[in-house]
Amino acid sequence: MRLAGLSSLVAAALLASTSAYAGKADDTLHVAFTKEVENVDVYYTTAREGLILSHSIWDGLVHRDPASGDYVGNLATQWRWVDDTTLEFDLREGVKFHNGEPFDADDVVATVNYVVDPKNGVKAPKNVNWMKSAEKIDQYKVRIHLAAPFPAALEFLSSVVPMYPNEYYAKVGSTGMAKQPVGTGPYKVESVEPGRHFVLKKNEDHFGGPKADAAIETVDIRTIPEINTQLAELATGGLDLIWGVPTDQAQMLDAQGGFNVVNEETMRVGYMTMDAAKRTSGDTPMANKKVREAINYAIDRKGIVDALVQGSSEVINSACSPIQFGCDQDVKVYDYDPEKAKKLLEEAGYGDGFSIEFYAYRDRPYAEALMNNLAAVGIRTNLNFLQYAALADKVRQDGIPLGFMTWGSNSIADVSAILPEFFGGGGQDQSRDEEVQKAIVSGDTSIDKDARAKSYSKALNRIADEAYWVPLWTYGAYYAMSQDTNFKPTSDEIVRFFDVTWN
Amino acid sequence: MSATASAPLSGKARLTPRQRFWHRARHHRGFVFGAVVLATIVAVAIFAPLIAPHDPYLQVLSDRMQPPVFLGGTWHHPLGTDALGRDYLSRLLYGARISLLIGLVAATISAVIGTTLGILAGYFGGRVDTVVTFLINVRLALPVVLVALAVVALLGGSLTVVVSVLGLLLWDRFAVVLRSATRQVRTIEYVAAAEVLGASLPRILYKDILPNIANHLIVIATLEMAHAIILEAALSFLGLGVQPPLPSWGLMISEGKAMLLFQSWLITIPGVALFLLVLAINMFGDGIRDVTTPEGRD
Amino acid sequence: MAVLVALTVSIISFSLLYLSGDPAVAMAGENADDAAIQAIREGYGFDRPFIVQYGDWLFSALRGDFGESYYFRVPVSEVIADRLQITMLLGLFSTSFALVVAIPLGVAAALWPNSIIDRAALFLSVVGQAIPSFWFGLILIVIFAIDLRLLPASGSGTWAGFVLPTVVLGYYATPAIMRLTRTGMLEVLSADYVRTARAKGLPAPNIVFKHALRNAIIPVVSLAAVQMGFMLGGSVVVESVFALHGAGYLAWESISRNDLPTMQALVLIFSMFYIAFTILADVVNAWLDPRLRVS
Repeated sequence: MRLAGLSSLVAAALLASTSAYAGKADDTLHVAFTKEVENVDVYYTTAREGLILSHSIWDGLVHRDPASGDYVGNLATQWRWVDDTTLEFDLREGVKFHNGEPFDADDVVATVNYVVDPKNGVKAPKNVNWMKSAEKIDQYKVRIHLAAPFPAALEFLSSVVPMYPNEYYAKVGSTGMAKQPVGTGPYKVESVEPGRHFVLKKNEDHFGGPKADAAIETVDIRTIPEINTQLAELATGGLDLIWGVPTDQAQMLDAQGGFNVVNEETMRVGYMTMDAAKRTSGDTPMANKKVREAINYAIDRKGIVDALVQGSSEVINSACSPIQFGCDQDVKVYDYDPEKAKKLLEEAGYGDGFSIEFYAYRDRPYAEALMNNLAAVGIRTNLNFLQYAALADKVRQDGIPLGFMTWGSNSIADVSAILPEFFGGGGQDQSRDEEVQKAIVSGDTSIDKDARAKSYSKALNRIADEAYWVPLWTYGAYYAMSQDTNFKPTSDEIVRFFDVTWN
Repeated sequence: MSATASAPLSGKARLTPRQRFWHRARHHRGFVFGAVVLATIVAVAIFAPLIAPHDPYLQVLSDRMQPPVFLGGTWHHPLGTDALGRDYLSRLLYGARISLLIGLVAATISAVIGTTLGILAGYFGGRVDTVVTFLINVRLALPVVLVALAVVALLGGSLTVVVSVLGLLLWDRFAVVLRSATRQVRTIEYVAAAEVLGASLPRILYKDILPNIANHLIVIATLEMAHAIILEAALSFLGLGVQPPLPSWGLMISEGKAMLLFQSWLITIPGVALFLLVLAINMFGDGIRDVTTPEGRD
Repeated sequence: MAVLVALTVSIISFSLLYLSGDPAVAMAGENADDAAIQAIREGYGFDRPFIVQYGDWLFSALRGDFGESYYFRVPVSEVIADRLQITMLLGLFSTSFALVVAIPLGVAAALWPNSIIDRAALFLSVVGQAIPSFWFGLILIVIFAIDLRLLPASGSGTWAGFVLPTVVLGYYATPAIMRLTRTGMLEVLSADYVRTARAKGLPAPNIVFKHALRNAIIPVVSLAAVQMGFMLGGSVVVESVFALHGAGYLAWESISRNDLPTMQALVLIFSMFYIAFTILADVVNAWLDPRLRVS
């Protein structure tokens, strides 16, 4: 504990004025992150807040228009498939990084080759390990070699593979990048207090690709974990825009007036997972298909969506988000029918119901509503409410008999971001069905759109027929902003600061 | 409030100790208040199934967050309903059971640990005393909230885990006070006499020492009970306490917190209940101390 | 004794690691796959024997190196350093607040026992002990930040952000300090030398402040030091309510994201602070009390 540091903090605390407010008046957008971003270097974070920062600071080779879903050039202008595993890009000329370093093929090659190297340990390897290497053809032409045919390549390139300045990154490394990020995006970073406070400034030399130039001079981001505190700050003018507002609060705020409250659908889906593969115990009732069907019939998904989840949420029947490519909705539907559920349980030999451990990690009221539905058909649940890390650990290690979980697919609009994770035979696969696994692999590795759709449809149908999951609902996200603030949210839950304007 | 305690005792000399206790107690306003409120809450907890207007677990999703009757609600749900449409009054009544249970069990566990250690240290002195003092210091050095949070987070929250963790963390005051109390008692003549007469150790502890330090024990037990109840509420508030759908007051505050800015009665009601319970337990404990040790409050 | 206590505490903080699930999964995060997790498990040596891992950790910790935060991927000491400042500041403010409120109340209560002031003070202390701090914090936010708009609801950027947390954390220590001051003053006021001083006709304020308070305050100093140690622990709850990015809030966050090195370091540091404050209290007492100084 350095005493000098402490006393300077006292002085700073005493001198600073009370009011950091204003927003439109001083052209500063005040926003809040709920979670602490562990690292601003986006390759070393899995937090959504990290992705949000990344979209404003850096650029990918391509850009997905959030409205139409089409891919357009960003740092690249043109691209073509040379073969199943080779993508060639023509790069945009005249682009400069925030530190003045010019952008060219060397930056792409250095970035790709750095992140695919396992010894650099990027935090979400599957964001990058579909690439094998990058190769410079000339100063403005590169090829990316894929590890295997990977149809979602453009989706990944547009969202989770931003390009870094090679000279700067080589000099300062990941730690330096996290302290003073340098990119090509519409905003440059003025200051970083790790995990707590970020200040972005408009990049006056933005190259003007598909992303808009920043309309607001400064973006001031604070981490405020408590949603009530965020709401209080919004109400008192300390914040201009918040998101992830729970349904009830958002609706109350809306009813109260004075704020813009917007709901937008997201890629996050809720589901119940069941231990069909008998990983928790040899005689778990979940191994019985009739029991899994009974649980599907027992849940009043519509009732819960209408009363609790609300907003733009809707009931889903297949194990993916309807926004995603390959998410076939035309599968077996289990309508709410507790009588049928009871009958199925009786046929399965559980006429008196049974007791089971039930796991969840968020949305406790929803979990309690699900438990209530299960109790009504005789399934007595014992809730274990864990932190996400602990629950994911448990699923991977031993499996769980029954759980309510959600998945946001990292905002990737393709079922390859969800199906392999939960039905591909990995740690989170609770069904271990080879037929499903085969169909997923064939979808993941083909680049023909129709063939992919067909394979995934086969997998999704089998999942529904066997009742491996109870697909529950999609999640909507509520955004609340001051009346001066104008922002149209997108379904990928990325808040693009350069798209925010003053009214 | 200790006015009566310091009143002259002449004229009451013929009263038995028990009669004297009740005489003093009746005139101790803090004690009376604490005892009455505590008795009410205990009664409510015991007879919850008889008094509660609804099933505390029954969800009626179409009846969510009805306001209490004093904020424009109806008598059907006198204290309104929570975010899942459960009757708030019924949950509050059943919640008294959880809070009392946690307080009682945690205080009992810590009483057993602390008393044992304290008596051993006070009776034997020497090396035993050093070891116990060491344990007390280790315990005091550990930040209670932090360790409790960590353990509950790592083992998963359940009534059993929460109660055990709190019980294992709150024994220090028992040990400290009983150690010095035992020391004092040990020097009293009849204990020495019993030793001379060759009474066995357990017998001396049970027959001669325990009754003499019982007052201290009760006072600390009440303090620690209150302490455990508040800590459980804090753990539940941080999402690491007992698990729903159990209606713990701390959990109710935590659930109601979501609507803090719009429906603040959701946290005010269980908050006031919690406050009253802890207040009553503390006043009850203070009262016992004042009444049994007329010299003063501290 | 203090060293032994510190050592035991260090073992306890270290063993917290073994209560948890797989730290590798925690490090990997939501979107990691199985291969990544295995790589982390081996890379960080979670497969070595307990004693080896502990020894390794302790010796590094003694040099101020608590390892790398699983979450932030930077040295734990770096993550903790500036947050500890905020918590220390909060602890300092709160202790001062508690002393400033409690000592005058305690003195007044002792000077006029059973008066209105005495009763009010006692009532306040009983009530104070019964209010759950998180609930009190929320209520204060509603009143002062939302309804009156006098103070910000969160943040440590300005002095105003510290006001509510200081009150919430400080009020909790107030009753104990007040009661102890009162008891001490009552004792000292009835002691022989004070009576003598009175008999000599010294003016009353002189007696109260020069003779009585100085002696009565000795146990209060110990208590305040101990309370400050407790308050650092209590800051977990308060900091999370007010979104103060201090060490307490960091501890809570580290627990929820299984960031064990940070958590271990914080448990250890909070414990060490407590031990240090206890020693400090002894030193200050020796200085205040000439009798102790001689012995």
